[in-house]
Amino acid sequence: MKRSFWQRPEISSFAILCIVIAVFSGTNPRFVSAQNVSDILAFLPELGIIALGMTLLLTAGEFDLSVGAVFAFCPVIGLLLAQHAGISLPFALLLAIVASGLIDLANGYLVTKAGISSFLITLSMLLLVRGTTLFATQGFPLSSLEGDSMLKTILAGSFYAGPVRIYASLIWFIALSLLAIYVLSFSKIGNWISAIGSNRSAAVARGVPADAVKIGLFVAISLLAALAGVMSALRISSASPVAGEQYELEVIAMVVVGGTALTGGRGTIIGTLIGVLLLRTIRNGIVLVGVPGLAFNIFVGGIILLMLMVHSTMQKKYGRV
Amino acid sequence: MKREVIRLENITKSFGNVQALNGVSFSVHGGEVVALLGDNGAGKSTLIKTISGVYSLSGGQIYIDGKPVIVTRPRDAMELGIETIHQDSSLALDLSIARNLFLGREPVTVPALGVFAPLDRRELRKQATDLLKRVGISKKLDADAAIGALSGGERQSISISRAMQFFAKIIILDEPTNNLGVEETNGVLRFVKEVKAAGHSLIYITHNIHHVFQVADRAVIMRQGRVVADIDVAESDVLTIEGIITGADLKELAAAQAHG
Repeated sequence: MKRSFWQRPEISSFAILCIVIAVFSGTNPRFVSAQNVSDILAFLPELGIIALGMTLLLTAGEFDLSVGAVFAFCPVIGLLLAQHAGISLPFALLLAIVASGLIDLANGYLVTKAGISSFLITLSMLLLVRGTTLFATQGFPLSSLEGDSMLKTILAGSFYAGPVRIYASLIWFIALSLLAIYVLSFSKIGNWISAIGSNRSAAVARGVPADAVKIGLFVAISLLAALAGVMSALRISSASPVAGEQYELEVIAMVVVGGTALTGGRGTIIGTLIGVLLLRTIRNGIVLVGVPGLAFNIFVGGIILLMLMVHSTMQKKYGRV
Repeated sequence: MKREVIRLENITKSFGNVQALNGVSFSVHGGEVVALLGDNGAGKSTLIKTISGVYSLSGGQIYIDGKPVIVTRPRDAMELGIETIHQDSSLALDLSIARNLFLGREPVTVPALGVFAPLDRRELRKQATDLLKRVGISKKLDADAAIGALSGGERQSISISRAMQFFAKIIILDEPTNNLGVEETNGVLRFVKEVKAAGHSLIYITHNIHHVFQVADRAVIMRQGRVVADIDVAESDVLTIEGIITGADLKELAAAQAHG
C-alpha cells in the first residue's frame, strides 16, 4: 500500500544525478575543480528559483510558459525606469517586480475565470511580454546596472568559501527551497495545492478556494521569475531583452525530471532540486567532456527522455501510490 | 413524527430559458433515508447542486432545523452540516486517506498563520486512524495510504465516513454505487444502514430501484424539474415506482397485457 522509500521518484532521479557526476568527474578532473563548481553554483539558483514556483504550479495542475519572458522583462523595465524616469534603481526594480506580478495576475485570472488552458494563455503572454521587452529596448542589452552597491550585495554579491565562490543568489535559493518544501508538504495550503491538481472539483466541494489558490501560485511564480531575472542582471551588470529565452522549457524539464507529475496532484520540491542540479550539471559537464556545443541538446533531450521513462515505469509497476 | 432536519420549499432554478427546477418541495427528518429518484434530466443533480452550494437558487427557500438558510458556496453548505458525496468521486486520488478526510478542514498547530499554518500531522494521522477503526472499514487500511490504491467501494466508504466525521446533519449520496461491483455495492448499502443507525439523515440518489427498498424510508420522485410523488417505501413496490419515474402506468400496462 504505502510506497516504500526506494520507490519514490526522487530516488531514481538522485541515482542518475550521482551517475552523471561520477562519469563527468571521471572523464575530466576539471569538472570538480573549484572554478567549475563555482560556475555551476552561479547559474543554478537563477533557474532553480523559477523551478520552485513551477513545481507548486504544476502540482496544482497548471503551468506557466511566460516565466522566461518575465525573467528578461523585470530587470529591463526596472533599468529603463531608473534611467529615464529619474527614480532610484532599487525603487525602479521594485516597481518592475510589481509589474511582473501583475502579468501573472492576468494569467491567473484568464486561466481560472475564462477557463482557457494555461498552455494557451501563458504562451500568448510569453509573446506579449517578450515582444514588449524587445520593443522597449529596440533589441539592445542595457548596461551599467551598477548604481546601488547595497542591492547588488544582497542579491548578487559573492564570497569565497575556501576556493569556491558562493553567490548570494545561492543563499536565496536555499532559503526559498526550504520555504517551498514547507509550503508544499507541511502547510495547510500545500494540502490544497495537491488536492486541486489531483481532483479540482473534489477540492472545491470541500470548500477549497481553488481559483484563488491558482491565481496566488501564478503571481508567486512570476515574482520568483522576476527576482531571478534581477539577480542575473545584477550579477552580469547588464539587462538583456533576450535573457531567459527557453527558460520556461528548461524549468519545466527540471521539474518533471525530478518526479513532479505534469498532470498535477503530485509534486516534490526535493525532486525539483535534484532535477535542477541534474540539468545544470549535464549542461556544464557535457561541454567539459568534449561534446561539441551544437550536439549537447541531443544529450540533454536524451537524458530527460530517459528520466521520464524511468518515472513512468515506476508509476506503472507500483501503481498510483 | 421526528424533527425536520432539512426542508426545501418551492425551489426553482433556471439556466437562461431552461427551467431545470420548477418548485421543488420536500423534507427529510432525523435518522431518515430519503431516496431521490427520477429519469435522466429530471433535475436530481441540479437539485443536489443547489442544496450543496455549487449552484445558487433562482427562487425558493431552504430550511435547516426549521431555520431559513442561505447557501451560495460549497463551504456554506458544509458549515450548515450538509455533506454531499458526488458521483464523480469526491476524493483526490493522489492524496493520502488522512489528507482526504481532512481536506478543507485540516487540523493545524498555529492557526494564526492562516492558509500557511503548519498541518498538525500527528493529529491528522491519529484522527484518521481512529475514524477508520470506528467506521469499521477494513482495519488493514493505513491512514497514510493514497486513495488511488483503494478499491471503488473503499473509496465510497471513505467519502461517507468523512461526512459522518464532521457530524453532518444530512449526507447526500449522488449515485454512490455507480461503477461498483456487486460485493462493493453491498458494502456501501450496508454502510448506509450503519450511518442511518448512527442518527444521520441521508438523501440517496440512485437509478437502482431495488436499492431503494433495501435502504430508504421514503422515495421522492422527480420528473421535469418537479416532485411528482413523495411516498412511503414500505407501502409501495418496484412497478409502481418505475411507473411514476417514467410517467407510464406500468401496473395498468401489465394488467392489460395479462388480460389481453
